[in-house]
Amino acid sequence: MSEEPREPSAPKGISRREFARRAAVASAVAAVVPASALTSPSSPLNEHATVAAADRGGHLSDPSSRLSLDQQPTDLPKLSPESHAEVEARVQTILSQYGSRFSDAQKNDLRRLCHLAQPPLDRLRAYALENGDGPALYLKPLVEREKNPLENTRVGKTPGAAEKPKDR
Amino acid sequence: MPTEELAFLPITELSKRIEAKKLSPVDLTQYFLDRSQKLGPRYNAYARLTPEIAMAQAKAAEKEIQRGHYRGPLHGIPYAAKDLLAVKGVPCTWGAKPYATQVFNYDATVIEHLNRVGAVLLGKAAMIELAGGMGYRFASASLQSDAKNPWDTRCWTCGSSSGSGAIVAAGLAPFAIGTETWGSILCPSAFCGVSGLRPTYGRVSRYGAMALSPSMDKIGPLARSAEDCARVFAAMAGHDPRDRSTLPLDKAAFTYSPSIELKSRALKIGWLTNAWKKPESGVAKAADAAEKVVKKYFPGVKNAKLPEGPFEDAGNIIIAVEGASSFRSLIRSGRVSELADPLGQLAGYVNEQFSGADYVQAQRVRDLLQKKMDAMFDTFDVLVAATQPVAATPLDLNLETGLSYSDPQGGIGNLCGLPALSVPCGFTDKNLPVGLQFMARAGDDIAVIQAARIFQQHTDWHRRHPKIA
Repeated sequence: MSEEPREPSAPKGISRREFARRAAVASAVAAVVPASALTSPSSPLNEHATVAAADRGGHLSDPSSRLSLDQQPTDLPKLSPESHAEVEARVQTILSQYGSRFSDAQKNDLRRLCHLAQPPLDRLRAYALENGDGPALYLKPLVEREKNPLENTRVGKTPGAAEKPKDR
Repeated sequence: MPTEELAFLPITELSKRIEAKKLSPVDLTQYFLDRSQKLGPRYNAYARLTPEIAMAQAKAAEKEIQRGHYRGPLHGIPYAAKDLLAVKGVPCTWGAKPYATQVFNYDATVIEHLNRVGAVLLGKAAMIELAGGMGYRFASASLQSDAKNPWDTRCWTCGSSSGSGAIVAAGLAPFAIGTETWGSILCPSAFCGVSGLRPTYGRVSRYGAMALSPSMDKIGPLARSAEDCARVFAAMAGHDPRDRSTLPLDKAAFTYSPSIELKSRALKIGWLTNAWKKPESGVAKAADAAEKVVKKYFPGVKNAKLPEGPFEDAGNIIIAVEGASSFRSLIRSGRVSELADPLGQLAGYVNEQFSGADYVQAQRVRDLLQKKMDAMFDTFDVLVAATQPVAATPLDLNLETGLSYSDPQGGIGNLCGLPALSVPCGFTDKNLPVGLQFMARAGDDIAVIQAARIFQQHTDWHRRHPKIA
């Protein structure tokens, strides 16, 4: 099959980040766009080759082997110093715990994945919440409507459901 | 004996013939077994067939029906179950090499329910390893390798219910069971040109199903029409004390009858204008045509917009953290390296690193989102948009470098546990199917079924099928 049509207006940096973010955090969805939507010729996997080659046994004991802020790869999202430090800490934790399991290429990939996972965290943390905003109970609205019988009329009732015994 | 036309008949038609004793469940099952044995490998559609179970169930069904005990529309109807649902004594691989020899000694609740109504298990459908729970970069991320799309075998079926989509599209079974954490029922339905229902979270028990993200996993059917999906859903739904996330009896149960239109309400439809930033041209064209149909048959359709915020981020963090917990032993033991996909071998290590505070932050954002969406459903009963912004993609595509788009519809729908139904709504210039998605308030599964049924009463996209040589 020939290649899918391009999406010329897709912002290349955002596009790749968006998918890689999703992939890195293991979304179950198989989200798909044309291969040609990727307009950058360079592979992000190659960006950190020198860094990973400096790793030894999963430890980056030599501080000079770490990426400094101004060395952040250009095709990955720019991070604040704090976020960059967090990424580095995450990489170090993984490598110190499991480093011997990975090839150099995998270490490069892990670093890239850690980097790509950071912007979603930053966006999430920046979202305004009040102290009293609680975590989701699944389908809380559905459960809360149950407390007000008048509200029930908004929900399509399943025929015959009323005859069924109440759950205990 | 059955003829070729049986392969693509809907459950509604097959069940009429079975009830009238014009069609033998044994003959029908043998027909689909033969067809699946012959064609299944072409699409990498099955993890395995279960001919002994199938024939035993078919013979039992035939005997009962001959005696006058007809259990209902799924009695004697063959189906396939995604290979993450436990079937007693049958290997359940979760699509992944580390679990290749795993066998459970009990049936998943969904399998029990389908047994109860007399459905016939043909086999286990292939799937993406761990339902994509560790991430994946290639369509080949499966014990069965890449699932090939019956509309074009150079294209993918989408995942993670990849085999389920191929099976229904190729006419290897009248329906198949899939699961969705984010997109895994709706995307294969769209790519494969079949109808797929993602039920409200908690209406279908996950007991005996592989857990990926327990607060987001759902089980639902892929079939030939919205009505077929409704019939299968009615058999599967219900409270289960063995899955404490299931809704109470009166909220979980679902009853369906063909006369449902007589009792139906006038649906308020919202056409989503921000579901996709820029669908590919073939999808946009089909969606535009579908919009005209929707506006013709649903008076008062208005444009609607999904709320904006870091909702996809929240969904991704939740899946990542819950997935890392679900597969912790796989990650810690290092056996995650046995997964087929290079991303799947690594992403779990990253996902383990997210903090508890970030996970709870995501759950708090989720709560606000659920309130926003519930308020939105005071205005609309059903929200409609193209299911995916693209049609089926090439098998060898690197999903990481070749795929990318924001998916607020999928993120929001799954974070809020909303029911959704994807139906075929046209084809691209390359003759690849395009899906249209109907999404409703949590608990209002009947609204998406009703809307999709009305759409299918006025279109024939769901009756088309690929040419299978």
